[in-house]
Amino acid sequence: MALILGASIPAAFGQTALQQDRQADPQVLRMTEFFHFPVGPKGLQISQSVLQAQGKKVSLQGYVVQQETAAPGQFLLTPRPVQMSQHADGEADDLPPSTVLVSLPAEQQQWMVAYTRGLVEVVGVLDVGRLEGSDGRVSWVRLQLDSEATRRMNAAEFFSYRHALQHKH
Amino acid sequence: MTKFNNGPARLAIALASAWIAFAAQAAPTVSRLTPPSELFSSGHAAPVIARFLPGQRFDLQATIRPDDASKQITSAMFAVNGKTIAAPVALKTCEAACLKGVPANATLASIRAFSVDTPGIHSLRVTATQSDGQTVTAEGNFEVVALLPGAQKVKNIIILLGDGMGAAQRTAARIVAGGYAQGKAIKPLAMDTFPVTGMVKTASLNSVVTDSAPGMSGYVSGNKNNNNEEGVFPDDTIDPFDNPRIEYLSEYLHRTQGKALGLVTTSDVFDATPAANAVHTSSRGAGTGIVDQYLDDRGLTGLSVLMGGGRKWFLPASTPGSARGDRTDYAFSSTDAHTADIVKRWGAAPGAMDKDRNLLAEFQNAGFAYAADKTAMDAIDPKKTDRLLGLFTLSNMNVALDKIDGRRNKAMGVGGRVVDDYGFPDQPMLDEMTTKALAVLDRQKNGFVLMIEGASIDKQAHNMDTERWMLDTLEFDRAVALAQAYAAGRNDTLVIVTADHECAGVALIGGSRVSDARLQALVRESGGTALRDAVVGIYEQAGFPKYKISADGYPETTDIDNRVLVGYGANSDRMEDFRTNDRPLQDSQQPFVKKEPLSIYPAGPMARDAEGKYMITGQVPGDSAVHTASDIPISAFGPGAYSFTGVIDNTDVFFKLAQAAVKGVVLPPGLGAGSTKLTKAP
Repeated sequence: MALILGASIPAAFGQTALQQDRQADPQVLRMTEFFHFPVGPKGLQISQSVLQAQGKKVSLQGYVVQQETAAPGQFLLTPRPVQMSQHADGEADDLPPSTVLVSLPAEQQQWMVAYTRGLVEVVGVLDVGRLEGSDGRVSWVRLQLDSEATRRMNAAEFFSYRHALQHKH
Repeated sequence: MTKFNNGPARLAIALASAWIAFAAQAAPTVSRLTPPSELFSSGHAAPVIARFLPGQRFDLQATIRPDDASKQITSAMFAVNGKTIAAPVALKTCEAACLKGVPANATLASIRAFSVDTPGIHSLRVTATQSDGQTVTAEGNFEVVALLPGAQKVKNIIILLGDGMGAAQRTAARIVAGGYAQGKAIKPLAMDTFPVTGMVKTASLNSVVTDSAPGMSGYVSGNKNNNNEEGVFPDDTIDPFDNPRIEYLSEYLHRTQGKALGLVTTSDVFDATPAANAVHTSSRGAGTGIVDQYLDDRGLTGLSVLMGGGRKWFLPASTPGSARGDRTDYAFSSTDAHTADIVKRWGAAPGAMDKDRNLLAEFQNAGFAYAADKTAMDAIDPKKTDRLLGLFTLSNMNVALDKIDGRRNKAMGVGGRVVDDYGFPDQPMLDEMTTKALAVLDRQKNGFVLMIEGASIDKQAHNMDTERWMLDTLEFDRAVALAQAYAAGRNDTLVIVTADHECAGVALIGGSRVSDARLQALVRESGGTALRDAVVGIYEQAGFPKYKISADGYPETTDIDNRVLVGYGANSDRMEDFRTNDRPLQDSQQPFVKKEPLSIYPAGPMARDAEGKYMITGQVPGDSAVHTASDIPISAFGPGAYSFTGVIDNTDVFFKLAQAAVKGVVLPPGLGAGSTKLTKAP
């Protein structure tokens, strides 16, 4: 078993092996600097650094939000660990203002990002401004991942996934 | 006319002629009759499901299905105890407005804002006519509960709602806050000192396991609601705001006595518990419409104080941070009587698709003083303030542990303190909001209903974040103490402390056998059951965990030696290391930040993170612990408190509160002085 740990199995899911050349080093943005903090008595004020990064390739460090009902093709990234119990709490959530909606490329919209503990670094194109999703949730900062930002499950993950299929929760 | 009652199919069928009945049972049917009743659903007259106060308003509604797609329902009438109700019946044909499976030509017949004054069990009959002349009749029942002449009338009602706070959450808070010595609690919780305690059955209309919406509305409407629904009975349409309404305690007491309503929570103010005191919707997530209704229908509810998080719903859509959107809003038709009658007969606002509305400014224009942080809240002079809006964060407020860490200047977050990571470093505690709310509402000469919610007891129990729900229970109990102090000596204020349901199946399984330092070493060195067996002390090994309480009322640290240990009976899969959860500082000390590529898998069952040492297999699906059906405690203080003993239904609480406020306090059956004679007192 140990021998196959870490071995990726793209063939299992027909990986298209889209690879793009990385552009020049992405701009590093800090999520806690998206808005002017502390927040005043009204809404948020978007910081200049974020406005200037609009449409550019940036790097963000944050935590993958542990969602009870995650949607395929996207996940949420926050500057501190957050768990969402959507079934009971809906949008009465503990998401910080600087939560980023991270989208997978168009060809990966049916894929889920495995929840990962601890800090992760993601690189993609930043999009700032109001967007109302099909579920009614409004996002203000989004990141569009490159195809190369994801990979299919490794053998251990695949084993865990198959186990989950056999023992449906 | 021949009448059929096929209970299992929940259809009451009546046919125009016996010939048709024998041919193919082609006839219109009534598939839903509201208020809900067992008489309609199963043919049994008991238990009676829907109960109301004399004069309490509610909507009547029936869903009638023609027997053929080419036919329509042309008329309907309702009768109570055989007497036809004179009010006009609004008819709405479903077309595309109804739930999947409901035919497009099904018709909803409604009479809005109906009420009955006479106590007793009443029959409700609907009779509808189809375009070919066939008729259908269905029958249900409801009860109007008699209020008895009582002693003094209660002027003020304070409902303290520890969301998800079962008996074990209370015990845990007592151990942490007061501690035990040789088996005796050293310092009880404030809620422990209430003279009367009972048990509450929490089931909702459609499940033994409720969520917070029907959990709260049961207490303040007297009726069971479906999960996710508040202040309404279920219907067959997709519109979340057109459901049959039930008048809330706040509305009834504002209409009949001029009492004011106050809502204070640590969650987003649109969340189910606060909204289920004032807002009528079948979708607890419809945030834009919910907060609009707070303001627009304040003439019905008497809303005067609203404090918590949730500023995102009050900002116009163009303002960064706003969550307002048309998908979570509503607008009633001015011509279709189905919803126009809500406006006409209830006096309710019609709503509007207005995501660009500046609700924050409109609240202020309506005379609400606005506080955006604790400093601003403290600066408000309650002697000059009748209405108060406090919106301290965009969504939920930070939990007590993180707010206290913020005040202690403990940098646990990435950018510093957790409250700094959220951008709201100056948030009040629940007890501080309670003080201000009571001071403002105290000016109400006709009294008030005040609901104070410790919201994240539940939210952190979902996360199985032991220390965070424990500290939120401590925070909540400090608000309880203030409400108790307000009521003490006044003799006109009834205070109840309860929950809407239990969350996570919390059980105190014992205490740690090791110091925190040793625990950290064990986490590093061992895992699985070896970690568990070295740490979990059962029976006398648990001893009496001792937390050191700081001057601010909260533990110096929750990571003490020989800590109290919690098990979760309604847990999802989780990793357990017995230490305070998910501190960003710990995570950032990991040797590396995980770089791309991220692992992805096909949409479907969740692939779980396999990190960690001690995996506890969940008994429920998903990633969160869930609510349980366990009964929860209710404690009462002040005049009328004695009514809250025994094992009672959550809807009973409404009638007990109303009895105290409307007719005066009474003793419950069997507690009469010198007598065990049973009475019908609520």
